[in-house]
Amino acid sequence: MGRRMWGVVKTLLPPASYPPFSNMDTSKYKALYLQEAGEHVAGIEQGLLALEKNLADSATVDALFRHYHSIKGMSASMGYVPIQKLAHAQEDLLDNIRSKKLSPAPGITNTLFECLDAMKGLIRKVEEDSPLGDDVAPFAAKIKAVMEAASSAPEGGASTLPPQAKEAAVAQPSAPAGIASTADLKLSHVMKVEGRVFDELLSCVGDLVMALSSFKTLTQMSRSVEFKDGIHTLGKAIAALHGNILSARMLPISDLTEGLPRVIRDISQRSGKEVSLKIEGAELKLDRAILEGLGSPLVHIIRNAVDHGIESMAEREKAGKPREGTIIIKAYRRRERVIIEVSDDGKGINVEKIKKKAIAAGIAEGKVSSMTDKEAWMLVCLPGVTSADTVTDTSGRGVGMDVVKGVIDGLGGFLEIESAPGAGTRIILELPLTTAIIKTLLVAVKDEIFLLPLARIERVIEVSCDSISSGVYKYGDADVPVVPLGAALGMSEGPDRDKYTLIIVETKNMSSRAPRLNHSGTSLSGEGTESPEASGRTALRVDAFGDEIDAYVKPLLPPIAKLWGVSGITVMGDGRAVFLVDVGQITSNAVK
Amino acid sequence: MSKTVLIADDLPFFRVALKDILMKGGYEVVGEATNGVEAVEKAKSLLPDIIILDVVMPVKTGLDAAKEIRLLRLQAKVVMCSSLGNEAIVDEALKSGACAYILKPLNEQTVLSTLERL
Repeated sequence: MGRRMWGVVKTLLPPASYPPFSNMDTSKYKALYLQEAGEHVAGIEQGLLALEKNLADSATVDALFRHYHSIKGMSASMGYVPIQKLAHAQEDLLDNIRSKKLSPAPGITNTLFECLDAMKGLIRKVEEDSPLGDDVAPFAAKIKAVMEAASSAPEGGASTLPPQAKEAAVAQPSAPAGIASTADLKLSHVMKVEGRVFDELLSCVGDLVMALSSFKTLTQMSRSVEFKDGIHTLGKAIAALHGNILSARMLPISDLTEGLPRVIRDISQRSGKEVSLKIEGAELKLDRAILEGLGSPLVHIIRNAVDHGIESMAEREKAGKPREGTIIIKAYRRRERVIIEVSDDGKGINVEKIKKKAIAAGIAEGKVSSMTDKEAWMLVCLPGVTSADTVTDTSGRGVGMDVVKGVIDGLGGFLEIESAPGAGTRIILELPLTTAIIKTLLVAVKDEIFLLPLARIERVIEVSCDSISSGVYKYGDADVPVVPLGAALGMSEGPDRDKYTLIIVETKNMSSRAPRLNHSGTSLSGEGTESPEASGRTALRVDAFGDEIDAYVKPLLPPIAKLWGVSGITVMGDGRAVFLVDVGQITSNAVK
Repeated sequence: MSKTVLIADDLPFFRVALKDILMKGGYEVVGEATNGVEAVEKAKSLLPDIIILDVVMPVKTGLDAAKEIRLLRLQAKVVMCSSLGNEAIVDEALKSGACAYILKPLNEQTVLSTLERL
């Protein structure tokens, strides 16, 4: 053992031409690289957020350093030189923070975030097999510049020193073993499966359910007890299968919200505001299709809250509020639904301004001026109406809340708005836990049949035509607008009938939940009242109604994706395609 | 009989790569560790011929693990492996009881020829 053995290298980085893995097949390691790099990027993001908020202790800084170091090492091995260089520059900067030569000033964390985004972009290119390019020099220069700027400050260190060999002992839980050791060969209990597998499984169960419903019709005609028993057993098995697949599809809300701190940071920084985010109930699980659909609406709502809800720091101080605005996302269960509330403690929606904008957008003035506050808040969900004074590059163009509402409706949910002047705004999303198989009622208009979601139906009444006068039906003490379903869907009117069936549905989008925002703007809790007011109902007029069926509803795909008034399609046991009526859309038109 | 090796690296990526190289060179990988503490424990229980330690690891660094392993007076030869290659670290590795230093990125020939000369 002698000193001649030592390949002492004075430069930190091997030359760029260093052969990666030499004769080894690097493609084999690419999947491993992408997976691990993704984990380190997520770790860096968390660490930087802590660093920026001065919440980073030495263990966090050490972990951050290791994340950069890991990406650098793996990238070098794979021959991804630009990523390696970029990671190296950031690692250098982190090492200076670690050894307290630099303090993490905002300029430094901003630069690190920018570099991280660039690094993410490069890793994405690796994933897509596109060329990496070699344009990381500007980022490296930027890092050098912030380091030099900081080191020229009086308390700054003299020069960039080589990374320290000695590392402080780090108090951190031991890292999970990435792969089983040879002494202990065991398969994990957790299996990674692509999401689309569950989509396909669910689709198969949907077909089974529909086939079963045609068998069920047959059992009514059959006298065979064995046949009836068999169908019953089959039904139970299919229901169990359906339940299991649905639960496998459930993901915690945190899967969606973990990217939000970064989103908030970026938006609030651009608008020069300080905003903190609190999330409650993120462990609640939702079907992945619903969770997936919720992504952009949630970001949009939060952008609106930061850009237009939360005031500037000066305004907040003047109003006696803390300088830092707060956004609270609260998720909780209400029976078979999940409620997600997004509250801010900003200035609330200015009802007068909204009304003016609605009139400018072409809504009848008489209608607008007679609106209650709660009806007026919902106006922000109409195309072209915005509560914003200014258009920023993220929100305020008047497109957005209408799209958000459309997406939530499409997911089978409701959107409601509550606002209190000076105290804040709360957007309430009520969503089904699961998607796909829903309980429906068959209704007929002329020769066509449609499905109505049972959850929206309050009552079904058969009435004579006299009891409907000038489009209104007296339901209890209330006047309920009557909407002929066929006409609403663009069908021609059939001959007048003596009797009609009225389906009383809730029209929650104009419903009435009193605002429960308190003026300190901090405790924005409290559940909504359950009973909708009379104005929250509409009667859909149909010719007849039929059975309740469990329908496997498939989403509409192009070219009929944007068909007005319907939200899905199902294929009946006899092969007929039947549309599911979008009650929200049909009734909102009636109210307008 | 082929020589036995214990690998310590916090990154699965490098453990897999190193294992592939070692198996090609006829070594038997008897254990893997993901940090310095695990490395010391497995060094004691598995008694490998060679221990390859990454420098930058959580919980306990490879350098600190090497120092502890030296105090155990095991037969095993310790090799450091890192992308940190400045003299200060290499010197400290030497003082900590390592008898070779492999620089990342891993190069099959370098790894195998270094281990042959131990």
